[in-house]
Parts: sequence; C-alpha cells; structure tokens
Amino acid sequence: MESLKAIINAACAPEIMFTAILLVFFFLFPPNDWFYKASKKLGLNKLWTKNGGIGIFVVMILFFAFGLSDDNFRLIVIKPDNVPIVGLLFLVVFFLWLSLKQAWENDKRIEEGKPPAEADDAKEKVLVWPDLVYIELIALVVISALLLVWAIGLGAPLEEPANPTVSPNPSKAPWYFLGLQEMLVYFDPWIAGVVFPTVIILGFMAIPFLDNNPKGCGYYSVKDRKMAVSIFLFFWLVLWIFLISTGTFLRGPNWNFFGPFEYWDPHKLVALTNLNLSELIYMIILKRPLPENIFLREAGGFIVMGIYFGLIPLILAKTFLKDVYQRLGPVRYSIFIVFLLLAISLPIKMYLRWGFNIKYIIAIPEFFFNI
Amino acid sequence: MSEGNNKFLENFKKTQLYRAIFRTGGAPISTHKQRILVTLNNVFLHLHPIRLPKHAVKVKYTWCMGGLSFFVFLVLTITGILLMFYYRPTVEYAYGDIIDLSEQVPLGLMREIHRWGAHLMVITVWLHMFRVFMTGSYKPPREFNWMVGVILLVLTMLMSFTGYLLPWDQLAIWAITVGSNMAGATPLLGASGPGASLLAIGDVNFVHAASDARFAMLGGRFVGEGALLRFYVLHCIGLPFVIMIFMIVHFWRVRKDGGISGPT
Amino acid sequence: MSDPIQKPSNQPAQTTPPKPVSLNEPMDRRSFIKWSVIGWGAFVAVLGGYGAMIMRYLFPNVLFEPKQSFLAGYPDEYTIGEVSERFKDKHGAWIVRDTEKIYVLATFCTHLGCTPNWMGNENKFKCPCHGSGFYKTGINFEGPAPRPLERYKITLTDDGEIFIDKTKKFQQEKGEWSDPESYLSV
Repeated sequence: MESLKAIINAACAPEIMFTAILLVFFFLFPPNDWFYKASKKLGLNKLWTKNGGIGIFVVMILFFAFGLSDDNFRLIVIKPDNVPIVGLLFLVVFFLWLSLKQAWENDKRIEEGKPPAEADDAKEKVLVWPDLVYIELIALVVISALLLVWAIGLGAPLEEPANPTVSPNPSKAPWYFLGLQEMLVYFDPWIAGVVFPTVIILGFMAIPFLDNNPKGCGYYSVKDRKMAVSIFLFFWLVLWIFLISTGTFLRGPNWNFFGPFEYWDPHKLVALTNLNLSELIYMIILKRPLPENIFLREAGGFIVMGIYFGLIPLILAKTFLKDVYQRLGPVRYSIFIVFLLLAISLPIKMYLRWGFNIKYIIAIPEFFFNI
Repeated sequence: MSEGNNKFLENFKKTQLYRAIFRTGGAPISTHKQRILVTLNNVFLHLHPIRLPKHAVKVKYTWCMGGLSFFVFLVLTITGILLMFYYRPTVEYAYGDIIDLSEQVPLGLMREIHRWGAHLMVITVWLHMFRVFMTGSYKPPREFNWMVGVILLVLTMLMSFTGYLLPWDQLAIWAITVGSNMAGATPLLGASGPGASLLAIGDVNFVHAASDARFAMLGGRFVGEGALLRFYVLHCIGLPFVIMIFMIVHFWRVRKDGGISGPT
Repeated sequence: MSDPIQKPSNQPAQTTPPKPVSLNEPMDRRSFIKWSVIGWGAFVAVLGGYGAMIMRYLFPNVLFEPKQSFLAGYPDEYTIGEVSERFKDKHGAWIVRDTEKIYVLATFCTHLGCTPNWMGNENKFKCPCHGSGFYKTGINFEGPAPRPLERYKITLTDDGEIFIDKTKKFQQEKGEWSDPESYLSV
C-alpha cells in the first residue's frame, strides 16, 4: 500500500506526469490522419463507448476512494474550497466522454455515408411549449436542489481575519486562476499575469476566424475537424484543467511540489537554484564574466527569440503545416502560428526549467524585462 | 376534492383578472395553435423560438449549460442582493458582518448558496464553452456570438475575483494581493512592469506605485480600505451592469443567428 | 465651379428670399473636409476629455494610508548576525545587522508582493506564494523572484535613534545599495 502511494507520488511530479500526458495526448485526441488511424488501431477510441465510460469512472472513483483512506490526500480534497474542483474533474471527464462518444459514433455514420445522428433528429420539429419548457423546468429544479444541498452540507470557508503582514503558506489565488499561478512559476508576472491572459482571451476570440473549415458545424465529430479538436482539447485539458488541478492539489507550502499522498512539510528542501541563459552562455560555456552592455549580454536570448518567432513559422509553413498554410492564407496563418507558438512556449519553458534550470531566456531586471 | 379544485380553477380562468394577466385567456391549451400562442404571448418564453428541431432539445446535445449559467446568475443576483442587507464593505466591519451572516441571521445559508453558486457558475460557463466548441457552433454565422461568449466568460471570472475579496479574510486579501500585483506588472502601465522606468523625464517617474494600473484597481498602494470599496462596487454594480449588456446581446444573437446550431 | 440650381433669369433679383440651406445643395470638397475635421475632431476631443476625466478620477489626491516612516530604537538593540522581526507586522520591515552595518529590508517579495517568512534554521527568506528564496542580504537565489528584496532608507536621529523612511527605496540591481542612506554603519 505504502509503496503504491510512493509510486503515485513520484509519478505525479510535474515533469513526469506532464511528459506522460504529452506522449499519450495525441493518440487519444488525434490531430491528423496518421494519429487518427493509430488511435483506432490501438483501440483507444473504445474509451469513448458506454463500456469505456464506465471503465473511466470506475478507475476515477476507485482512485478517490483509495485516496480518501490516506490522511494527507483527504486533507487536501475535503478542504471546502477544493470540493468544486473535485466536482469539476468528474464533470469535465464526464462531458469529455459524452461529447467524444457522440463524435466517434457520428464519425462512423459519416464513414458509412450517413448523415450525423443530429441530422436525423433535426428532421423532426418540436414545440417549445411544452417540449423544451419542461426540460428547462426540470434542469432548474435539479440545480436548485443541488445548490441547496451543497450549501447545507458544506459551509463556505472563512479563514482568519485579513492580516497584511502574514502570508499564509501556501497562498493561493482563487482556484480558476490557479492555472495562471502555475505559469508564474515559469514566467515573470508581466508575461504570466498580463500577456498570457490577454493572449488567451484574444486567442479564444480568434478561433472562429482561424478555423475556416466549413465542416463540423452543429454536430459532434472528430473526423471532420481533427486538428481543431485536438488543439482545443490540448489547451482546455492540459493547459487549463490539468494546471488548475496541479495548482490546487499538488502545490503545498512554499509553492513546493507535493505528491497527492505526501505530507505538506513547510520545511521541505527543494533546490530551486536557477540561472539565466546569458549566464549559461558566458559563465559556463565561454567561462568569462558577463559583459557590461545589456544588449551584448542578452544577445543569445534575443537570437533565440528571433529564431522562435521569426524563423520557425516560416519553416513550419513549408513543412509540417503546409496544408494549414494553404488553407488559411498568409494573414490567418501568421496570427494562428503566433498564438500557437506563444502557447507552446509554456511547455517549452517548463522543460527548460526542469531540464536545465533555465530561469530567463532574456533577463534585463534593470527594466523589469525578463522572458 | 380534485373535481372541486378543477371547478375553482375553471371559474378562475373565466375571471377578468385571469384574462388580464394571461393574454391567451382561459381556454385549455390543447391545440397546436394554442401551444404556439403560449410561447408568443409570454415575455419570458418569447426568448425562445416557437418550434425547434428535435436535436436541439436533447440534453445530450446542449448539456443545458448555457441556460443553467443564466439561471445560476439569477440565483446569484437574488442571494447577492440579500447579502447586501447585512454586509458593510469596510475593513472594520466586513469580517464581522460575514460571521454574523451565518451566526446571527436565521437560516443564514445565503452566503453558502452565493459562494457555491459562484463556483458553479464558473464551471457551467466553462462547460458551455466546451460544448459550443465540440459541436463547432462558433462557425459562421455565429462567430460574433462566440466572441461575446468569451467576453462573458472573462466577466464571469472577474465577478468571481472581485467577490473573493469581500469576506476580508486571509484567503481573500492574499489572493487579491497576488492578483493585483500582476496588474502592477503590466508593460508600460504598471510600476513594476517592463518599460515603466522608460516613461520618465529626468528623475520624475510618471508611472510609480501611486499612479499605475494597480493603483487604479486598488485605490491605494496596497490592498486596503480603498480596494475593498472598489471591489465591492465593481462586484455589486459595475460588473453586473456590463455583464447584463453582453448577456442581452448574447441571447439576442443566438436567435438572430438561427437558434441553436445544427447540422445543415 | 457652376451652381446647378440656378435661379430662373426672369425673376427680379431683389425679391428673392435668402437662399434656404438645402440638403440637396452639393458641398464642395474643401468645405466638406473642413467641416468633417472640425466635427469629428470635436467629437473625439469630447470623448477623450471624458475618458481622461474618468481616468484621473481613479487617482485621488489624498490617501488615507498609514504613516510611511517610524523610529526603530537604538542600534545596540540589534544583535550582530540576526534578522529582527520586531517591525515586520507593524511596519513591514526586517532590520538586519551584520558585522559592519544595519540595513532594512522591505517585507514584500519582488515576485508578487507576498510576505516572505524568515527561516532562521535555513538562513533564508522564503516566500510562501511561489517559493522565491532570498539570502539574509536580500539577494534572490531561488524561485521565480526576478530581483532582490528592496531596502528602505535608514538614518539616525539627533539623539541616536534609528529612523526608517519607507518612501525611499534602494534596489540592488540598479546599484543603489552602495548609497550611504541605504545602510547604517555601526
């Protein structure tokens, strides 16, 4: 039992879990034909059937039941403000399953030359009164009852009165912002707190203009819009839900990482000594002191950024994303690739931190300009 | 008993009062035309179209999440108004008032419903977005409504964020301290953001701790009296006002863009 | 330029009423541009004025915030090599004495403004929010904090008491820690 817990604790370390997710992700949610076929060959699409759904939920419930027998796990999960996130996890998995089940069923119908299931339904028209109104009424009653039970069963949390001189350890943002707070570990506040949120909002708003595939409107489908679904689920499941769960359940005192069954020891020692790219280039590789001139010092970083945002889009347009470039045209492609590269910079920065302890690519603290 | 009741109801439906309230009058709703009239003659129901394709009323297609978000918003409005009766947004009283809300007010569940409702609304709004994406419902002609939806999502989270400060406990003040310091890191506009020190003539800094984006948000150099009042006003009046406007546009465009999406 | 709406020539000129402003009357390009610039310019100016007014309204002239300076006792009340937390709660400052000087560190993490904790055993300041660590000098060495803790101005009053002024800050990355007001030689 204890060894199982130790294994889970170790596997939950961000670098291991994140790598595992990355490896599995594109087979589960294929972005192109090759992965789509591989997914089918491996039988992963069976997850999105009735039996698969039951299987997923049995595993999840067993995990939580097993976890609740552990004191440390219980302490985190039962904390009133964390309960909604446990609920969120189950709801997201359920609705993910529900949408993908319908999507794969529709894919099968489309392969057989039939229209999606929604099209069959849509032939019949129903009246709002009473066919829709009674469904709405039931939904309202159910949700009211749920809220009431929840409110009676679980008191709203209230901690000690505000004290501006004592930060609780750990201090967490509201749970829906914990994804941002997790980014703060890897990026400076002006990027993680200002640039990224702005980019996320603009990126979401740009979706209808970047996805100009006319198919796949008004019915669940993967086959008709593989790339769109895969990219969206990557943001939504990995960079959103997963980061929030990590921030909620696995970040403890001093914002150190703790496995789900680990005791939150405020004195846990973790070496977080990081160095900047400029220091790596000059002091470790070239073995000389940092130059005085800021631009000379950070030249390496500027070159890396130039390559990342200048050269890589061009290379991608000629190679991997050739089809995308042809479909979108130069303007849409440029916007799309900038958003995509910005989003991918988060995992890249994570790996640079885990692998090489890189703190900043460009570090100009004199002007608070650190990337 | 039931017959008597029915008779009473039948008679009531013939009164001038009943006819004054319900435009359809007292006739039993049994024909197709009468069912249509129910929707048409009611200001609340006429948000809906009269008839829908069958897939659009199926829960497995819509998940009900958009409607539930709106309903939870209404619940939050009602409980929020009730909470305002007892809560005073000052550093001196805020925390005590929150305690009194659950201890001195009979059936003091309002704060619980409000808080869990707020969490629930964030979740339902997210799931609504998820559903809209998975059905490809942002595609033409619904691009604009998707954008309005994204703004509503942001506003929902801002509502929740401003409400987080009001209990004035440790959780509140530190969550807002961390959040507002991010505003202080805004490029050019924040005192500790990149470029702020470039906006200076000689020794005079134009962007400093008492003149930057963070100050505008907090009404002070740190999270204190000014911040509590500003967040309270934004939470109770400012953001709800904005969110209502966007909600009106959102609902109106759902209808104008052809109702709930469906295969063509 | 010819006026297309010409008066019939048989009408006596003196009896004509003043020409009414007609919407049908074509406007020449020059005056069209002139009036649109004036009109839109005024519109934008009014909007901008309102905007600026609202922006300025957010920044009051007087702030009711606690006093920014305090007296911190006499230098010999502080032991060499120790971090004093005496004024942490009340004034947000650590007073540190090393072998040759006393300096005052602000208790605001340079990452996002949480209050770090002094961990005597590990000889470092550790921020609970995102794990930034600082040496006793205030220099950052681990975690996300981009720069060292800030120091406050410290001077002696005439009767030898320590006077700390929090309105003046000294940042190491700008080379300000060598400023004689940023420390007190003892």
